[in-house]
Amino acid sequence: MDIYTSFAIITLAALVHASFQLSVSVLTLLRSHAIGSKKSHTRTLRLTFGYVTGVGVMTLLILTFAATVLQRFFATDVPALIWAITCGLLVGVGFAVWIFYYRGEKGTSIWLPRSFARHLSDRSKATKDSAEAFSLGLTSVIAELVFTAAPVLVSALVIIQMPAEWQPLGVAVYAAISLITLFSIWVAVSAGHRMSEIQKWRENNKRFLQFASGSALAILGVFVYVCTLMSEMAGIA
Amino acid sequence: MSGKSVDIVKRGGRRATEAFEEKKLRASILAACLSAGTPVGHADALTQTVTNAVLDWLDTRPEVTSDDLRRTAAKHLSTHHPDAAYLYEHHRNIL
Repeated sequence: MDIYTSFAIITLAALVHASFQLSVSVLTLLRSHAIGSKKSHTRTLRLTFGYVTGVGVMTLLILTFAATVLQRFFATDVPALIWAITCGLLVGVGFAVWIFYYRGEKGTSIWLPRSFARHLSDRSKATKDSAEAFSLGLTSVIAELVFTAAPVLVSALVIIQMPAEWQPLGVAVYAAISLITLFSIWVAVSAGHRMSEIQKWRENNKRFLQFASGSALAILGVFVYVCTLMSEMAGIA
Repeated sequence: MSGKSVDIVKRGGRRATEAFEEKKLRASILAACLSAGTPVGHADALTQTVTNAVLDWLDTRPEVTSDDLRRTAAKHLSTHHPDAAYLYEHHRNIL
């Protein structure tokens, strides 16, 4: 797999990761509670920045952890069976996103068990300083692992096959792209866009986002299958 | 409302009924107004207007559900500030 293909896979996987909505929902709640409780603009910015940083750090940690474990097991020679399982996982999670990601009710409620959703909602309301917001960011990434595990896994497999000098860049590109949505919303609300506008946009476009995320995962699965297994069979790996 | 107590049946009837607290209603309406970007003074005035309307509605009822209370407050708020009413009504459906 050449370096361009590797970065293409990492970029698409990170875009799918960015399209998942749990972190965005928690940011929306955190921001709403902060404004609603009359916290100053600077304090609200500090809280939400702490949250975005927490999400970024946990994404980096999970990706590097996955890459380290996989490298320990397979070095740079990943067996065809592991690629096949990963491709199947990507397609399977893609279908799961189409079917399960959003609940069939008004608003932007997602698949998350209601007790966990209540916990995150209560924590976002109780968050008073940046350190708490940071840990809320860490938690929200872990909560979404059911869906983000597939893009993280394929990116980790691709990263361990890259030359050593490119690997840190691969990790950085994934983390940066996966934060695009969250960072854009953080910038938008910091610039004065109303939460109601953003929430309405999210609600109106949730089915499109769900379809796009699921389709992108399935396409990624097929693309990785063609790039690894089929090219290996054809002897051009 | 003439000081009589009203019982609030919590969401889905799964949690214990609790007495109505005007302070909680006021705080939730104010939070929705502020989240929708309303200036503090205007938000306070809207909160007062909507709270009074909800208190009038409660006057003839000994018991209401929390969902009915939320819907009624959102209905009155929507005539003054649709964005705040949207946030108020859908707050629980964000996550």
